[in-house]
Amino acid sequence: LNVLIIVFTEMRDKLRKWREDNHRNSEQIVDVGEELINEHASKLGDDIWIIYEQVMIAALDCSRDDLAWTCLQELKRQFPGSQRVKRLAGMRLEALEKYEDASKQYDSILQDDPTNTAARKRKISILKAQGKSAEAIRELNEYLEQFVGDQEAWHELSELYINEHDYGKAAFCLEELMMTNPHNHLYCEQYAEVKYTQGGLENLELSRKYFAQALKLNNRNMRALFGLYMSASHIAASPKVNATVKKANVKYATWATNQINRAYQVSYARCLL
Amino acid sequence: MAPELLLDSNIRLWVVLPIVFITFLVGVIRHYVSILLQSDKKLTLEQVSDSQVLIRSRILRENGKYIPKQSFLMRKFYFNNQEDGFLKNTKRKVVPPSPMTDPSMLTDMMKGNVTNVLPMILIGGWINWTFSGFVTTKVPFPLTLRFKPMLQQGIELLSLDASWVSSASWYFLNVFGLRSMYSLILGQDNGADQSRIMQEQMSGAAMAMPADTNKAFKAEWEALELTDHQWALEGVEEELMSRELDLDGMFSKELPTGIF
Repeated sequence: LNVLIIVFTEMRDKLRKWREDNHRNSEQIVDVGEELINEHASKLGDDIWIIYEQVMIAALDCSRDDLAWTCLQELKRQFPGSQRVKRLAGMRLEALEKYEDASKQYDSILQDDPTNTAARKRKISILKAQGKSAEAIRELNEYLEQFVGDQEAWHELSELYINEHDYGKAAFCLEELMMTNPHNHLYCEQYAEVKYTQGGLENLELSRKYFAQALKLNNRNMRALFGLYMSASHIAASPKVNATVKKANVKYATWATNQINRAYQVSYARCLL
Repeated sequence: MAPELLLDSNIRLWVVLPIVFITFLVGVIRHYVSILLQSDKKLTLEQVSDSQVLIRSRILRENGKYIPKQSFLMRKFYFNNQEDGFLKNTKRKVVPPSPMTDPSMLTDMMKGNVTNVLPMILIGGWINWTFSGFVTTKVPFPLTLRFKPMLQQGIELLSLDASWVSSASWYFLNVFGLRSMYSLILGQDNGADQSRIMQEQMSGAAMAMPADTNKAFKAEWEALELTDHQWALEGVEEELMSRELDLDGMFSKELPTGIF
């Protein structure tokens, strides 16, 4: 009996950790969560509601509509008229590709509470799922006009723009993210990549600088290291630069090459171990 | 030295302790009633949007040095431009929230009064009437004679030291003293905390929210005008290449976030 209890607490703590870290390992969540709900529901107390929500979203990811439906019913019973539950119902309709009904569901949430950001964002993801990227971009822009601070939305918009090859606007979105998260090396790196793709001497210089910044923030970012090498050699090879700039960039590229060699040696050494 | 009075121990049993209990229970009841009567503060879309715009402008000022100069100037122009800059030209309708015109504030004030002031008066009066005619306790510090009519409500002794107080004043002492007990039992933000509520009422009058938006915009505009762009990435390559990369733990499995 003690072993069962220990297993139960472990499962519950794992779910909590995944919830707090925002992991999307849906299959694992469904496995652990389903067992937790079926076997140990009574021991969970009030935690059970948030676990229902977590498991339901994971179930939708894994196409387990049966499990999602059960969770939804329990939540509806406990919290009738809750907007959070309505949003989950809308997500289920989305997973079943009933986009019209899902859209209506979100509209009803927005009627009650125009400031509800979750419903607005779900509507935009419906557009994205239907492949209507132009409309999705337009809606997302409108959303961001109201809620300038929503970082998730800025990131999503930058992705949409990259897919549409509108690199200038994608760079703008990434700049917003870099300002709000100055120590996140991944945003610097993505920005540098966008600038590199845009091309042109000025953009290449910018991209080299931001690759360097990403490396400064995280010495182990291999992609940024390669990016630094590529942008520096590109500039050095360009016919339009003068001798000093060329020399400087050759120096950067050489340094980057040395570091890349070192990294391969480290990995080789680890393989040998 | 005033002569020490010896109080009947019955007073302690039947007056001091019941008053403490009554005050405490009334406070707990007040807390739960305030939770029931709490109305949701609904923010309008405009307020949410404005607060986020202000945050964005502040972030631009603080972290603008991480983006290229051109981008920074572009955003500064958007906010501060003479003709159509957002901060310069957006005027919000300013309705000073006077309690008479704003209905939601009126009901809030009513509820505040009903839950807090009214019970205090009622119970204070009841205690005064029930436990009158005798001295309850002695405050440990000497008081002047001016306090006598206030603190010795039902006692008609001219020569009694003002430190000896009646039950009504013991009640008031309790109301303020049990605050820390409430925080212990009901958690920090509890509705039974009288003095905090009075403090809120006083500061709330000074902190009229909607009028602030225009002033906040103006303040941000001024601050942004003064901000200059000092690109943090000026010498980043040199800084980076001044030493070898720290590749420690690069390919270890325990790395929490991916390198790519």
